[in-house]
Amino acid sequence: MQPRVSAGTGSSSAGTSGRRRNPLRSEAKWGVLYALPALVVLGVFVIYPVGSIIVHAFTRWDGFTDPIFVGLKNFQTLFADQTFASALRNNIFFALSVPIQLVLPLGLAFLIHERLPGWRFYRWTYFLPAIYSTVVLGVLARLALQIDGPLNEALTGVGLGGLVHDWLGDGPTALASILFVFVWANFGYNVVLYLAGMSGIDAQLPEAARLDGANQLQVLRHVFVPGLRRVMEIVLVTSTINAFAYMFTYVFTITNGGPGFSTFVAEFDIYNNAFAFQKLGYACAMGLCLALLISFLGFLQIRSLTGGRE
Amino acid sequence: MRNRAVRPRPLRWVLVAGMTGLGISAVVPLLFMLQAAFRTQLDWASSKIGLPTTFTLDAFARAWVQASIGTYFINSVIVTVGAVTLSVALAATSGYAFSTLRWRGRTFTYFFILAWMAIPPLLLMVPIYVEMSDLGLIDTYWSVILLYSALNLPFNMYLMTAFFRAVPIELVEAARVDGASVHTIFRSLLLPLSVPALATLVIFNALYVWNEFVFALLLLHDDSVRTLTVGVNQLVGKFFFDYPALLAGMLITSLPMVVVYLVFQKYLVRAIAAGALK
Repeated sequence: MQPRVSAGTGSSSAGTSGRRRNPLRSEAKWGVLYALPALVVLGVFVIYPVGSIIVHAFTRWDGFTDPIFVGLKNFQTLFADQTFASALRNNIFFALSVPIQLVLPLGLAFLIHERLPGWRFYRWTYFLPAIYSTVVLGVLARLALQIDGPLNEALTGVGLGGLVHDWLGDGPTALASILFVFVWANFGYNVVLYLAGMSGIDAQLPEAARLDGANQLQVLRHVFVPGLRRVMEIVLVTSTINAFAYMFTYVFTITNGGPGFSTFVAEFDIYNNAFAFQKLGYACAMGLCLALLISFLGFLQIRSLTGGRE
Repeated sequence: MRNRAVRPRPLRWVLVAGMTGLGISAVVPLLFMLQAAFRTQLDWASSKIGLPTTFTLDAFARAWVQASIGTYFINSVIVTVGAVTLSVALAATSGYAFSTLRWRGRTFTYFFILAWMAIPPLLLMVPIYVEMSDLGLIDTYWSVILLYSALNLPFNMYLMTAFFRAVPIELVEAARVDGASVHTIFRSLLLPLSVPALATLVIFNALYVWNEFVFALLLLHDDSVRTLTVGVNQLVGKFFFDYPALLAGMLITSLPMVVVYLVFQKYLVRAIAAGALK
């Protein structure tokens, strides 16, 4: 984008009064007009809501009457809110899977890249979980894990009847089940990201390392990983964002937050406060805090990844 | 010639077995829905896995008609076609403005739009719901069509700008010298050249829109406008334990995108790869 930008409009129109129409000036006009529809749609449906959430985070608002400014009261309530704290703990639990989501797909992508027998099959199937709707996966998981569901039937069938369990009726296994579905649903997407990154690495580099006697793990560690910094950054940040801001559909469809509040997550709390309790201002404050928390974590992660070399 | 993955034999076969198992697990949901959808309710009650002993299309008929999956399917098609068309149109016009046209503030505006890519949309559900309600768009296709187009816009714009920039500038300059107007260059030169890029955008956005759940749940309440993801979820509570019909409904929800993936895998992977290398 660098060179052509400077060729812009500026003063060049001054001395061309003799011409009927200045092509550059017309181009400048059309440049704005071609960008305008996108800016309007983005402004109305993304930028305006962001502004709205910031303003309303400082109000008491039931959605029917006008919002009332209450200063920092929502935030004071929020920091003492036990339900929100326990919901956030579950988000943190899901975020503990981020290292697995970072490393496992890297290994899988490496094996596919190195043409392990069957690599075409792996490359094709691994992306399927990202093709299914999260709702379908959630409902399937809920069905499969019922007390009289297929998983328990299969366990009994292979003589492991002792392991039969009410997977979703028990807090810890319900939480673990959601975590499992979450990780499984996302690994293939990350494999594709890594494969794209690997295809951009000069094939002679790993070759040279092997000639120098490096084994596969050393090649992965010292040739591919440095070349994949950018992709790892993206995987790290998006996996973390997913654990804090994309868990609602999994929880809503698999356990609906239960049993009790044991699988409740922060976005679910926002949803409930807004649409069940009509505390819209409070829900905005929650959304704002969560967004700030995610940005802060993303900032820390990128610093920790790039900090080593820059 | 690249078949030199892991040298020690036993380890290699352990890896192959593990990788294959993972691959099979990815196909299992599809197989599970298939085998269940052809069962009768009685057959489901006696066994939920293995080959069905019955083969009936009744579950599909019950899902399509009684459970309104037919209506939801049509709604999903309308919303997807609408949102994808609008998304691609906005991406193409703005991509043209940011790649080829020269105007003051171009670079700043480009990065300004790009900056909104990182917003997790779910956190905005309250203001978006209220805004849609104020605009009278709740329970209309337009609510989700406009919202999805807006949420995906930064990424779409980024992708399209990158694709247009890859078109040799000499072609554009030559057209300008020949007196082609701003619109002619866009319509008759750049758009035909970027059909693969447009296809990438279409596939990528269609997958997102077809599968989106939370905003469809928030904004589409009436049965007549509901999309498949919302419809399927409420079937779980409402649809009297008719699991074969429920699973047939979920199969109908999943198959279109699986087929799209089968046919257009290349384009989908390209969209994701472009995101990775930005």
